[in-house]
Amino acid sequence: MSYAGVTPSARSRAMVRESRHLLFTVAPGAIWIIIFLVLPSAYLMGVAFMTNGPYGLPEMPLSLGSFERLAGFGFLGWSPGNLYTLLRSLWQTLVSTGLVVLVAYPIAYYISTCREKWRPIMLLLVVVPSWTNQVIRTFGWMNLLAPGTPLSSLAEGLGLIAPNMGLYPSNFAVTLGLVYNFLPFMVLPLYAAFEKLDTAQVEAAQDLYASPVRAFWHAVFPQTLPGLLAGVVLVAIPAFGMYVIPELLGGGKGMMLGNLVANQFSGGANWPLGAAGAILMLIATFIGLYAMRRIGKRLGGGEEVVI
Amino acid sequence: MAFDATTSDAITTDSPPADSITADSTRTESKPMTDTLTLEAADISSTEVDEPTREASSIQMQGLHKRFGRNTVALDGVDLVIEAGEFFTLLGPSGCGKTTLLRILAGLEEADDGRLAIGGRDVTEVPPHQRSVNTVFQSYALFPHLSVRENLAFGLKMRGMPPEQREARVARIAEFIQLGDLVERRVDQLSGGQRQRIALARALVNEPDVLLLDEPLSALDAGLRSQLQVELLRVQKRLGMTFVFVTHDQDEAMVMSDRIAVLNGGVIQQVGPPREVYEHPANAFVARFMGHDNLYPINARDGDRLTTPLGVLSAEAAGEGDLLLIRPETLDLLPGEQPGDNRLPATVTERLYRGSHAEYRLEVGETTLQATLNNRGRRLPEVGDRVTVSVASEDLVTLSE
Amino acid sequence: MRKRTLKRSLTGFWWFTLAFLYLPLAVVALFSFNASNSAARFTGFSWRWYERLLGNEEILSAFANSMVLAIVSSTVALVVGCLIGYGMYRHRHRKLGWLIVLIYLPIVLPDIVFGISEMAFFVQVHRLTGFLQPGLGTMIIAHVTFQIPFVALIVYSRFVGLDPTLFEAAKDLYATPTKRVIHFMLPTIKPALISAFFLSFTLSVDDFVISFFTAGPESATLPIYIWGAIKKGVSPEINAIATLMIAAVAIVAAISLIFSRRRQA
Repeated sequence: MSYAGVTPSARSRAMVRESRHLLFTVAPGAIWIIIFLVLPSAYLMGVAFMTNGPYGLPEMPLSLGSFERLAGFGFLGWSPGNLYTLLRSLWQTLVSTGLVVLVAYPIAYYISTCREKWRPIMLLLVVVPSWTNQVIRTFGWMNLLAPGTPLSSLAEGLGLIAPNMGLYPSNFAVTLGLVYNFLPFMVLPLYAAFEKLDTAQVEAAQDLYASPVRAFWHAVFPQTLPGLLAGVVLVAIPAFGMYVIPELLGGGKGMMLGNLVANQFSGGANWPLGAAGAILMLIATFIGLYAMRRIGKRLGGGEEVVI
Repeated sequence: MAFDATTSDAITTDSPPADSITADSTRTESKPMTDTLTLEAADISSTEVDEPTREASSIQMQGLHKRFGRNTVALDGVDLVIEAGEFFTLLGPSGCGKTTLLRILAGLEEADDGRLAIGGRDVTEVPPHQRSVNTVFQSYALFPHLSVRENLAFGLKMRGMPPEQREARVARIAEFIQLGDLVERRVDQLSGGQRQRIALARALVNEPDVLLLDEPLSALDAGLRSQLQVELLRVQKRLGMTFVFVTHDQDEAMVMSDRIAVLNGGVIQQVGPPREVYEHPANAFVARFMGHDNLYPINARDGDRLTTPLGVLSAEAAGEGDLLLIRPETLDLLPGEQPGDNRLPATVTERLYRGSHAEYRLEVGETTLQATLNNRGRRLPEVGDRVTVSVASEDLVTLSE
Repeated sequence: MRKRTLKRSLTGFWWFTLAFLYLPLAVVALFSFNASNSAARFTGFSWRWYERLLGNEEILSAFANSMVLAIVSSTVALVVGCLIGYGMYRHRHRKLGWLIVLIYLPIVLPDIVFGISEMAFFVQVHRLTGFLQPGLGTMIIAHVTFQIPFVALIVYSRFVGLDPTLFEAAKDLYATPTKRVIHFMLPTIKPALISAFFLSFTLSVDDFVISFFTAGPESATLPIYIWGAIKKGVSPEINAIATLMIAAVAIVAAISLIFSRRRQA
């Protein structure tokens, strides 16, 4: 009996059945995301290359005008406003991510050294504030940093700020808000890394006469690096596109890219300019994700680093 | 090629024999089961005689083919008949197709070609939930969201049996398998051996025509394993149900089975009772898989006298084939040189002392030979000793590559 | 010796960080009971801001909008996301890279880009066809879009964690396709479905940016109302409503703690 002559009916019937199943389960969600997210994003990208109409709505012809505007070239010649906003976004992202790492690293380590039954509660305590609405959390900081509050008076007494100014609105308030907002995003992946830390390596390093600092650097830090990188992605990407915190705590001089983009769709009404800003944000996002994937793969973490 | 019922006498699509129970339960799963379907309690638990309590079903397979992807052939034309009430074992190395064959019997896999009948009824295209066949899975596959009791009752519930009857049946099987208070536990509170027995009970409670067992003992340690082997045999003999057992362990297969089918590369190599498969392997693959290493090419033949690299040996009723098999336990080692018929001078090169017996590696000229000697009352030859190997002519078997 | 100093300073740092995390929330809660409307000085205890909330139609309707939005969107996302999660699991041996990209897109896209693309899209579709007028409907669509991936991933990972032979055992034990869904799959993934629903609900209530850009004039949710009130000038009423929302989160946190405790036991 030669196998080549077999009728493929059972096999092809099964394949049709499986394909129909795939279609039935995956299609509703996939179509939903395509219609309500992929299509809108594609449209927005198109808008970036159109011309600004009289009511802020995009019109033909296609042009690169909005990118020129984003770089600061308007009909009044070049002005640095938008560029400042861009640089401020980068700077705030960098500083706040760095500060978040500095706070989260010891906290995550500390939780991992505590007794096992306390750890879930400690993690919960770190995470719960981020469950409350971002607007409310930021509003809390407005209350704390307003003129006349103890913190403001303290800063005034130390001569850090001018009398009756309060600590907000300011770039400092934005940084503080960002650190506050993103701290849990860094603690969780770092804690996961510390929890599965191979202590034998640390003991081996100490056994081989490493000082505490060197033992940390050679045995502990490399093991926590994947968690650290995951945390950096989770913090830096949304921080770069942040809207609420600079809007409430930053004032005019604390504006970030997110505010620039949003303003073009509400008050300022220049869709193409806003869309151009959004493209910039997307590029930054994908560069960040790609870089992390590369580094993550080299570290052997693979997929989990991105998630 | 398409299956043609008229050319085959092995498979008929006629209604199943006498056992109307089988027909009911397989044909319509939606039809509520009546109590006539259940075995009487006395049948299972109170009889001490090893007598079948019901009519078992036979299995006919014809020309079964299965391929995975483009190039992997799992089954390449399997024709096999398993008799009603047999403890039948599919034996072979991993990837030989034994598990695929079992899954086709269960309906979890569809054959690309060929026909399958259980109890005389063609079930080739019947989905698993409509087959009166149950499986004990290798990983046991107990439902984690259900209690042990609910696990046991799952199949009966799916077939629409009313709750009171369900409970009675579960209680009876729990007594039969001697589950005791395990029934009240949660699945995650069970040990490996306990899970195995629950999985067995969960399959048996449905009183299937055929019970399939997919390496059910492979995850257990040796002691528990032999204990459960005995228990499985007891259950099978008492119920008289057809069991199809899959394993890669030839010792287990020999202990348990009425008959064994040895598979390799998706093709059945040999079917027969354990003794036949062990003592008269059909080919070199079966011989090696059953643990035989003393295989020698037959260079020339003169009636019963065979010329091999070891020398000339005479085999009683030498059959066809160009290979000679000498089982190690049929050899005797005589001290010194004692020439004669079927005697070969040899040197001991290695000895593994195993208490009840010793395993020898000998050199006969340029050729090595293995021998097993029972440890009783005589001196076991040492490494370096010159000995004479003696073998009875009726213990020599020929086979083909 | 040195080890103990390290541990002690870490303990100090831990409490300092906790204070940092809870101070803003505590301040909001404290001033919600302030007798005066000063945002800087606590002058005495009073319920007056809470009493005012009850009479504030705008807040009540914002609350209703938030609830409708969260419940409807989480329910839709649960169904659609659960289907995708199962599809991803069942067909995980196929090449589904495009699907993974699609699923991750809503997660990685910055909120603001997500919000304005949907807004621009809805505005244009409405202008051209008359459908999709910005309002509660468009907000539900947007929320479902960012909830689907989370539901799908939770359901998918639950399925991946199961012994694949369980599916075969269900078939083997006479369960028809429908009965397999009802008696095996749904009960087995029930914990995942519950946590997926709660996560979706939380994401919806927590969201401001995407709601803000897809909302219509009549469909303000609580966060949008609070945002507007802050922009107009701070009123102690916001403290009161914000405190209620914080309390709701605290209750959810306590429940989840009890649940995880019980699961451990």
